[in-house]
Amino acid sequence: MAQHEIEITIAPDGQVKVHVKGAKGKTCMEYAKWLTQVIGKVKDQKLTSEYYEPETKAKIHLTQELRQQQ
Amino acid sequence: MAAFEFMFAALWTDLRYPERMACMGVVMILAPVVVGSWPVISAAVAAAAAGLGLTVAQEVAEDNKTLQQETTSSFEMDIDNSSIGAGQLVSGKSIVLDKNGITLRVTRTERGQLKVHASGKGHSQMELKSMADDFVRKVNQCFIYNRTVTELKSKQFQMVNEETLQDGTIRLQVRQWVD
Repeated sequence: MAQHEIEITIAPDGQVKVHVKGAKGKTCMEYAKWLTQVIGKVKDQKLTSEYYEPETKAKIHLTQELRQQQ
Repeated sequence: MAAFEFMFAALWTDLRYPERMACMGVVMILAPVVVGSWPVISAAVAAAAAGLGLTVAQEVAEDNKTLQQETTSSFEMDIDNSSIGAGQLVSGKSIVLDKNGITLRVTRTERGQLKVHASGKGHSQMELKSMADDFVRKVNQCFIYNRTVTELKSKQFQMVNEETLQDGTIRLQVRQWVD
């Protein structure tokens, strides 16, 4: 399970700052597109690369030994 | 040379921690667009009025010409980033708000935009403009807040934190767990 977090700041004049955290590549851009449709026009946008929680990965090391039979 | 060292350090970090490369985020600055049916927009108007201490004098009132004749000064502004669905508010009707002798009349223009007309006896153009500006900003904020919270709930986001800062800024923090 991955945690997706969105921080939305609505200024007194209605201007909005949106920070999408934890969503990877394509999913992240889908959130951005959806929020643009909900709120309004994009004035500025930048991608960030952040570390929140390392993905758990299982690694299996296989070693092969060749023994010369005598 | 320093730039090369920096690039090498960044590359080395990425190679050591590949999960950092995978975890992306986005920061966006958005200008609000007020688009909706009259009930949705009138809810934002009512919330903005309450936030600024305005009282609703008449909701969807008949155009009161005598009110305009009595006033000595007035100010009018269209809200460019707004659009109200046709047929939701009949032309010539409006929401009338009042505070300290200043009357704000919110109507729908023929082009479907929201229009605010401020008037008040004994008030300067600057005072009326300031009141209309404050009101329009508050309508924008209330509309975006209502719409955003509704949409986030429909997408099953959980509200983690909600706070209003001293300057009136609203900060929302929502979370969602996905497979």
